[in-house]
Amino acid sequence: MKAKDKIKLFLQGFLMINVIWYLLAVIVDMRVLPTPLDVYMNLNNLYDSRLHIHILVSLYRVILGVGISLVLGMLLGLLMAYSESWNKLLNPLVYFTYPIPKTALLPVVMLLLGLGDSSKVTIIVLILVFQVIIAVRDAVLHISQETYNPIKSLGASKLQIFRYITLPSILPAMLTNLRLSIGTALSILFFAEGYGTQLGIGYYILDAWGRIDYLGMYAGIVAISLFGFVLFVLIDILEETTCGWKA
Amino acid sequence: MLNIENLSVNYKSNRNMVHALGPVAMKIETGDIIAVIGPSGCGKSTLLHVLSGIIKDYDGIVTLNGTTLNPKVHDIGFIPQNFGLLPWKNVEKNCLLSLKIKKRIIDSKLIERMEYIMDKLNIQDLKDRYPKELSGGQKQRVAIARAFIMNPDLLLMDEPFSALDALTREEAQELFIDVWNQYKPTTVFVTHSIEEAIYMGKKIVIMSHCPGAIIETIDNPLFNTEDLRQNEEYLKLSSYIRSISKRGWKV
Ligand SMILES: Nc1ncnc2c1ncn2[C@@H]1O[C@H](COP(=O)(O)OP(=O)(O)OP(=O)(O)O)[C@@H](O)[C@H]1O
Ligand SMILES: [Mg+2]
Repeated sequence: MKAKDKIKLFLQGFLMINVIWYLLAVIVDMRVLPTPLDVYMNLNNLYDSRLHIHILVSLYRVILGVGISLVLGMLLGLLMAYSESWNKLLNPLVYFTYPIPKTALLPVVMLLLGLGDSSKVTIIVLILVFQVIIAVRDAVLHISQETYNPIKSLGASKLQIFRYITLPSILPAMLTNLRLSIGTALSILFFAEGYGTQLGIGYYILDAWGRIDYLGMYAGIVAISLFGFVLFVLIDILEETTCGWKA
Repeated sequence: MLNIENLSVNYKSNRNMVHALGPVAMKIETGDIIAVIGPSGCGKSTLLHVLSGIIKDYDGIVTLNGTTLNPKVHDIGFIPQNFGLLPWKNVEKNCLLSLKIKKRIIDSKLIERMEYIMDKLNIQDLKDRYPKELSGGQKQRVAIARAFIMNPDLLLMDEPFSALDALTREEAQELFIDVWNQYKPTTVFVTHSIEEAIYMGKKIVIMSHCPGAIIETIDNPLFNTEDLRQNEEYLKLSSYIRSISKRGWKV
């Protein structure tokens, strides 16, 4: 998609959401649901409440969590795809743990790792890593053997085969997965930043909520939405530069 | 010279052994072009997979210029039936792939050679396109260019023209022979078409039903003749090969 179309799409979506929001606010007519105008008028106070710092802290946690899941998941996924015996060993484990809601493990992780960033990042990794493992393994297994033939006839090394065939074949699936992972990580922030911290956009919203500062709470919601949107656009750009051949 | 002695291939698929090819013996002189023709499933692709180093698990001896065939040692150009272009690389990068894998230094001489071959095959203007944006005939010409650019010791093609419609096929065959005559790499190609075998094969190897063995090797007097179809010899030779096929590809 061209940048122009994308901006148009964004503006359309933004406008529609705000119209719906505005109508709801007018119909409900309660202090818990202010109109978008009220919220936007209040935005200039946000610099004082250091919203940007909260966003940066959340960004750090999301990037660390998603990054670790991606690296770990890719390594394990590749191992399982390439080696029959590793697959036999790890597959039951992945299969068994996949449907367990990892959020239920939050207390355990907190007890083991404390209330700091390590438990927050760990819970993000626990939730994300399994879907990355499965996505990578399946993407590699879906490459047909024929795809490898021309490069094998050139005497390519294992590393060259990985670089020229495997990696580009699984890249589109990886980027889709990255998109999902970031969306999930953002929503995990809400309970991961609900304890043991005074920083982060999740904390900011929960805190404003607790102080019955509804305008501040909505400002936080708008901020995290824009934040998520920016990350999505970055992935779009990455997708267009690396997977342009698919379009 | 490509020397094949006692070559036999078995596929192992869940405890079953499929004897797919052989035993086969062949001697192919450097600079020859060999057409292999035979019934479906007789092991033609299997033969090419051995010669291209894709199948390493075979019985017998295969040597190229005196050393055991090895894609790491020899430069082998392999054009599979689906052309084998990488969808994520544009035409130019696809053409350079073999040189990159072989870690050749891409100097001005190589670039010149590439430009020349691309020009001959009429794909100069397609350099920046991805395979998805090409027609079947164009993809095929890119695959041929890629193979010739690396100046292979051995060129292998699996039914190179069968995915093309009749008119495109004739044009592509002519272009191919034109480029081939210039560089004359040792070539083995597989085909279903008797006409193609007679038009493009200096020698024609006829194979039997699975597991494929060689029924007969014909020295083709008609190789490289223009206006083939008007030639009387052509009718004789093609009806002779057709008779072998009618008899059921038996010795
Ligand atoms: N991976 C495989 N596992 C088991 N058997 C196989 C495998 N590949 C091919 N075969 C069998 O080996 C035999 C030869 O197959 P091959 O693909 O070489 O035939 P072919 O002559 O190229 O046929 P076609 O003209 O239809 O392309 C066939 O009987 C086929 O069923
Ligand atoms: Mg075949």
